[in-house]
Amino acid sequence: MTTEALTPRTRVRRLPELGVYERDQIKAILDEALYCHLAWVAADGDPRVIPTIHTRIDDTLYVHGSNASTTLRGIRGGVPIAIAVTIVDGIRFARSMFEHSMNYRTVIVYGTTQEVTDPTELARVFDAITDQVAPGRSADARRPTDEELRQTTFVKVSLDECSAKVSEGFPEEPDDDLALDVWAGILPLRTTPGVPQDDPLLKPGTPQPPYVTNWRRPGATPA
Amino acid sequence: MSADPGERTTIHRHPERADQDPATVPRILDEALTCTVAWVDAEGRPRALPTIHARIDDTLYLHGSRAARAWKAIAGGAEICIVAMLIDELVLARTSPHHSMNYRSAVVYGHAREVTDPEELYAAARAITHHVLPGRERDAAEPRDKDWRETLIVGMPITEASAKVRAGPPKDDTSDLDLDVWAGTLPLRTVVGDPIPSPDLREGIAAPDYLDGYRRP
Repeated sequence: MTTEALTPRTRVRRLPELGVYERDQIKAILDEALYCHLAWVAADGDPRVIPTIHTRIDDTLYVHGSNASTTLRGIRGGVPIAIAVTIVDGIRFARSMFEHSMNYRTVIVYGTTQEVTDPTELARVFDAITDQVAPGRSADARRPTDEELRQTTFVKVSLDECSAKVSEGFPEEPDDDLALDVWAGILPLRTTPGVPQDDPLLKPGTPQPPYVTNWRRPGATPA
Repeated sequence: MSADPGERTTIHRHPERADQDPATVPRILDEALTCTVAWVDAEGRPRALPTIHARIDDTLYLHGSRAARAWKAIAGGAEICIVAMLIDELVLARTSPHHSMNYRSAVVYGHAREVTDPEELYAAARAITHHVLPGRERDAAEPRDKDWRETLIVGMPITEASAKVRAGPPKDDTSDLDLDVWAGTLPLRTVVGDPIPSPDLREGIAAPDYLDGYRRP
């Protein structure tokens, strides 16, 4: 078990039996999650949180945005941030309202941002974030020009301080509730793709690539 | 001190995605199963916590453990920021920088108060159950007094909030339209599997009809 990421902030205190600190399991959740919620402290001292997409290479997590974005200006370098991802696998229906819960996998990463400036790393992470949306896409799509690269800022945080919380299984209820005439169990949930829609301006005869027609999240079980 | 409310909720980046319709924020909050709450801890660092929420009119309700420091801070009136996000489609452009998503997101700013009025507490508990699946609040057993010793509910006014919405096909530069690369959108939705009864479910209790009615994007 890799525990170097365990700090007072990342130790799961509420329902500690759900805490997961193994790096490989944390990475798998980060890779499967399509987007994250990114929190930071604004200049006014108040919290901000926005949805964005992320990508991971080895033990580093990257987020990006336009140079013009308020968020990117706020978190550009040396700024503490918190990133949360949530995957809901199912709804857990208990007999009592209070024992209702969800089967979920969440990861929280805390770190201090560093701006990516090395051109080789920048090119690599641009591919990675394109593949985060649809694995395989970076080999097809035109890569960014130097000008486009200049307009985009990537920041990274290490996975040195992170933890996951994984909740699975059936509701656990006190004996006196088991006798209630209420259904209990799990309703599984899954994100699935629909039918790909061609861009109205698509060049006639351009086929839909297999990573679109067979899209699924890395690690997710096929339908 | 809080920033000027107008400033925090102004969408600077892609202002065309700002959705000013007052019905949009409530609709996103209702549709999103979960949200993330951010606050600033005693050391001045950002913290984030995924949780579920429910809305009654202009109030957003959250619940958590009384024992958790996060919920003590939030119930104590710490400035918080909540984001809820729905992904409708992936947007694949011909060029990697123009990749995007069609999404609807809502951000709510402010601070919460602990709910102590019994009537409001029970209304919020029912609303949170209803949020997860409409109809369930009529079946599930209501909280007992001891439950409130462990769990608190906070309410937050949805007065300072913004919504951001992207829809439509990719937007490549005209000079890239001739590339031999597929471009378009891929709709995503959340689907339910077959309900799995608890191993300790009493015999003869059928899965309720509302399990079939689960609809979220």
